[in-house]
Amino acid sequence: MTSFRIPGKGRLTAAAPVHFTFDGQPFQGVAGDSLASALLANGVHLVGRSFKYHRPRGILSAGSEEPNALVSTDRGQGRFEPNTRATMLELYDGLAATSQNRWPSLRRDVGAVNDALYMLFSAGFYYKTFMWPKSFWTKVYEPFIRNAAGLGPAPVAVDPDVYASRFAHCDLLVVGGGPAGLAAALAAGRSGASVILCDEQAELGGSLLSETDAGIDGRSGWGWLDETRAALAALPNVTLLPRTTAIGYYHQNFLGLCQRLTDHLTVVPDGAPRERLWKVRAKRVVLAQGSIEKPLVFAGNDRPGVMLAGAARAYLNRYGVAVGRRVAIVTTHDSAWLAAFDLARAGVAVAAIVDARGTVPAGLVARAEALRIPTRIGWTVTDTAGRLRVESVRINPVAADGTVGAGQTLACDALLMSGGWTPSVHLFSHTKGSLRWQEDRQMFTPGETVEDGCPVGACAGRFGLAAALEDGAEAGRAAVAALGFTAEATAHRVTDETPLTGTSLRELPTDRDPSRIKAFVDFQNDVMAKDIRLAVREGFQSIEHIKRYTTTGMATDQGKISNINGLAIAADALKRPAPAVGLTTFRPPYTPTTFGAFAGYNRGDLFEVTRKTPIDGWAEAQGAVFEPVSLWRRAWYFPQAGEDMHAAVARECAAVRSSLGMFDASTLGKIEIVGPDAAEFMNRMYTNAWTKLAPGRCRYGLMLGEDGFIRDDGVIGRLAHDRFHVTTTTGGAARVLAMMEDYLQTEWPDLKVWLTSTTEQWAVIALQGPNARKLIEPLVEGIDLADSAFPHMAVAEGRICGVPTRLFRVSFTGELGFEINVPARHGRAVWEALHEAGQRFGITPYGTETMHVLRAEKGYIIVGQDTDGTLTPDDSGLGWAVGKTKPDFVGKRSLTRPDMLVPHRKQLVGLLTEDPQTVLEEGAQIVLDPNQPLPMKMVGHVTSSYWSAALGRSIALAVVEGGRARQGETVHVPMPDRVHRATVTGTVFFDPDNTRLSA
Amino acid sequence: MVPHAPASLLVRNGALSVRLADEVARFSLRLAPADTGQAAAAFGGPLPARIGAMSQSNGRTALQLGPDEWQILAPPGDVDALSAAFAALPVPHSLVDISHREVGIVVEGAAATLALRSAIAFDLEAMAVGTGCRTLFDKAQILLIREAADRFRIEVWRSFADHVWGLLRAASREIDLDL
Repeated sequence: MTSFRIPGKGRLTAAAPVHFTFDGQPFQGVAGDSLASALLANGVHLVGRSFKYHRPRGILSAGSEEPNALVSTDRGQGRFEPNTRATMLELYDGLAATSQNRWPSLRRDVGAVNDALYMLFSAGFYYKTFMWPKSFWTKVYEPFIRNAAGLGPAPVAVDPDVYASRFAHCDLLVVGGGPAGLAAALAAGRSGASVILCDEQAELGGSLLSETDAGIDGRSGWGWLDETRAALAALPNVTLLPRTTAIGYYHQNFLGLCQRLTDHLTVVPDGAPRERLWKVRAKRVVLAQGSIEKPLVFAGNDRPGVMLAGAARAYLNRYGVAVGRRVAIVTTHDSAWLAAFDLARAGVAVAAIVDARGTVPAGLVARAEALRIPTRIGWTVTDTAGRLRVESVRINPVAADGTVGAGQTLACDALLMSGGWTPSVHLFSHTKGSLRWQEDRQMFTPGETVEDGCPVGACAGRFGLAAALEDGAEAGRAAVAALGFTAEATAHRVTDETPLTGTSLRELPTDRDPSRIKAFVDFQNDVMAKDIRLAVREGFQSIEHIKRYTTTGMATDQGKISNINGLAIAADALKRPAPAVGLTTFRPPYTPTTFGAFAGYNRGDLFEVTRKTPIDGWAEAQGAVFEPVSLWRRAWYFPQAGEDMHAAVARECAAVRSSLGMFDASTLGKIEIVGPDAAEFMNRMYTNAWTKLAPGRCRYGLMLGEDGFIRDDGVIGRLAHDRFHVTTTTGGAARVLAMMEDYLQTEWPDLKVWLTSTTEQWAVIALQGPNARKLIEPLVEGIDLADSAFPHMAVAEGRICGVPTRLFRVSFTGELGFEINVPARHGRAVWEALHEAGQRFGITPYGTETMHVLRAEKGYIIVGQDTDGTLTPDDSGLGWAVGKTKPDFVGKRSLTRPDMLVPHRKQLVGLLTEDPQTVLEEGAQIVLDPNQPLPMKMVGHVTSSYWSAALGRSIALAVVEGGRARQGETVHVPMPDRVHRATVTGTVFFDPDNTRLSA
Repeated sequence: MVPHAPASLLVRNGALSVRLADEVARFSLRLAPADTGQAAAAFGGPLPARIGAMSQSNGRTALQLGPDEWQILAPPGDVDALSAAFAALPVPHSLVDISHREVGIVVEGAAATLALRSAIAFDLEAMAVGTGCRTLFDKAQILLIREAADRFRIEVWRSFADHVWGLLRAASREIDLDL
């Protein structure tokens, strides 16, 4: 294929060749190309099919606003990405890109039949078509919509890339590396202030990269650019971030920047992150985002080969690529004339400049004549022709009274259009800064700002190179001067700049019926001018409603190309001024951003904190199966060869009941409560009475919320008159400490007591079973373990296996038990020593499942499993734990509310199924009469349910309305297989007299 | 002390080293601000009187974390002596041994600040040498102490240390690749 690259033209003249494929066909570009420029260099304009009508589409722009040229790329190993803008995709050797939205091929696409069926797919098509019958929704409509929706195919493999993130703080963040941004960064950077300059392009320079006419400070534009970039790079206080898009501007000058680190590399270093999300807090912000060119609205304006004039100028001057051999121009703005001049000087034939304005600056006409470019001033374009690429345009004269004359055909292979320029106010709008409508210029410009941010240059509506440099330098100076730096706004002298003027036409005049032509406003979402007028006719008045009805501005480009044209047409149809119709809200991110960038490091092992106990490694080596409990992972059970969970748990349970088990209880929350008012504080926080608890003794503590419902529980040891060792549930540790601190700081600041989390200071090994004392007796120093000296619910400090311990005699199994607290770094060594020494008793490590079964056999509740935030102590059968003579404690007053005292509250009971083999489902509902009509009245639910090896049958705990009065009654539990009968019992199934505790 | 972690992370050009700190004794000291004068005798020198400030004496370091909260780091053999000294303190207070609750990680080198910026939101450049604070490292609560211009110490609860270490490993890789 003949190359459209012009030797010696552009910035990539010395660049190395790069090979790539598009739809499998090999092509050659050069280093520094975008995929779009490389395709154009090979004469390829057709790059995709549109979303709804599957119309052939070409490359419209040269920047991140591109609505048409979306491609899929595949870097292998799951690195598939759909909807990449070809204009932003930097070429690398081996790039394989494919077009989207076409089948079987881009050139012959079956879906294009939609284009002929426009009348079926007009605005509001979904709302009008998919209405009834109801049964069609799930079977016909939804599959159809799902199939039709979306652009490229969604990736299916796990993304293998890694992503990074970084916080940054600076005096000034400059968004945009064009002339205004560079001037701002230079003025601020030279003052010594810390400056970050970011730009979404691979190369800093913005519009200067595409501009070859003007000179700055006695140098060429590019000469000045090179010097300025070098000067900035030499300043240690300036950080330059090319390939970095400012995606969002949040409160208090917090901005998100997405930096592309490796996508442009042919060889990516192992483990290198693909993108980095910068989270920048800037004292001042200068927004120098520039402007986006507006398309013109006329029939056939979406045909491949029709593109923005400024884009053609960028492809020519920056990339050295001619977008055609014979190029026509249609415009209402002077800037398109410059594109024509550049092309003509580069040897490209310019078929004509068609300018829809009545008059054009004389200087431009003279330059066109000098270059022998035909001009048609006061003419319009009414159609284009060509199957997959524009081949001709139909142009017509427009009389002074607006009458459109007869059309003529003008042959061309590219049509450049310009409807003027729209300031990029996106980031400014993120801050909720107000916008001002400029009726004469048909544009919104920034108004009142709510952040310490300043829009400059074209994005503030001040166009032109000289204005950008002046604006930027002054904003850079002012920003850092406000922070106390001494800065100067360097004056830059611009030569040979053409002053540019233009007018805005919402649609080009036409001699055809405007309600029948295909003149596109939103290219990506296939919204035409007539769709917007139809929406207005059907009663929509707000632009937000018109947007949703027609989908204009809802594409991935968020209306960057279409918003102003759509607004102008809607305003005209409504006969209202544009501000009264409104502008849709710009929201972050500015351009589509990968999920990976947002996730950053938080994936895989770093997705969330996984807390592990000091004994975790031992359990892992033993082949334990783990379960997550809040952020912790805990050993669930320890299967031996050939065992399933049921067998392992049955074996572990039997070992504890018959001899000895060991359990890692390190995750239990622990809080050390110290101070002269410690007992008083305990009295207020817990339902129990603490004053008389002697040092060296423990008590079960129950904590309520202000509402009287159970929040947490645990065994609490009194180590000294002024020191308590509190334990909490594993999941409740942080919550309980926060609640205690809250009361202490806000309600009782007079109490002299302090709280310290000691959860991770101690590793906790629970030894449970009749042989527990025999095992530790020879290993413990300084504590008399005799039952009389160290009874159930005692605590003492001493040593075990040579290290300090806080030894608790407590039981969560109903067996003789100890909980051995040792400093965490000794946890594993003590565990291993006990495991070794316990071999003579057949010591058996057990996990959380066995712990649950053993405690359920004894009717010990687990807060959060057997309670659900609506159970009082009495509901749970824990009325005995409430100190009734205490003057107050958190929740006390709520316990006497009338509805807390009614007899039919849900109460915790035991359930024994009629069939002892049946293990009920936890969460199963309970009814009294299985034959009552639907919907049945549910009187409670199963909270805990297990197979009990000790009892040789199933057991369950449940909450049942008025349950304690129903002892012996039969209830019914519907489950997926059938309805099960069960008898209401007490909650203690095993050793009801607690004889084993004091064995 | 960090399970599964190598003893240190080193970046090729020496710009960054991340390693586990030597073991120390740690205490949480709580006491009314008015009583700090008396506590100085037990500590062995004046306690810092500004949140974030640190003081040292006899190898012991105290960092003030809140109006009535200090964290004390001391040589491992100093536990009993320090506990005994505070036990004799006549004013109400709380001294709790948290030596084993935490793990120390030293982040050192010209790129130390850059590495920490991967997961710490506040402006590290503005943190004075010889100060410390409680802050967040990604999702983990830590104490951060700036021991020197290019040396920081992280104190983190042991079960969160893996997470901190994993993030520092990722940041080290970026710095190693100069990306």
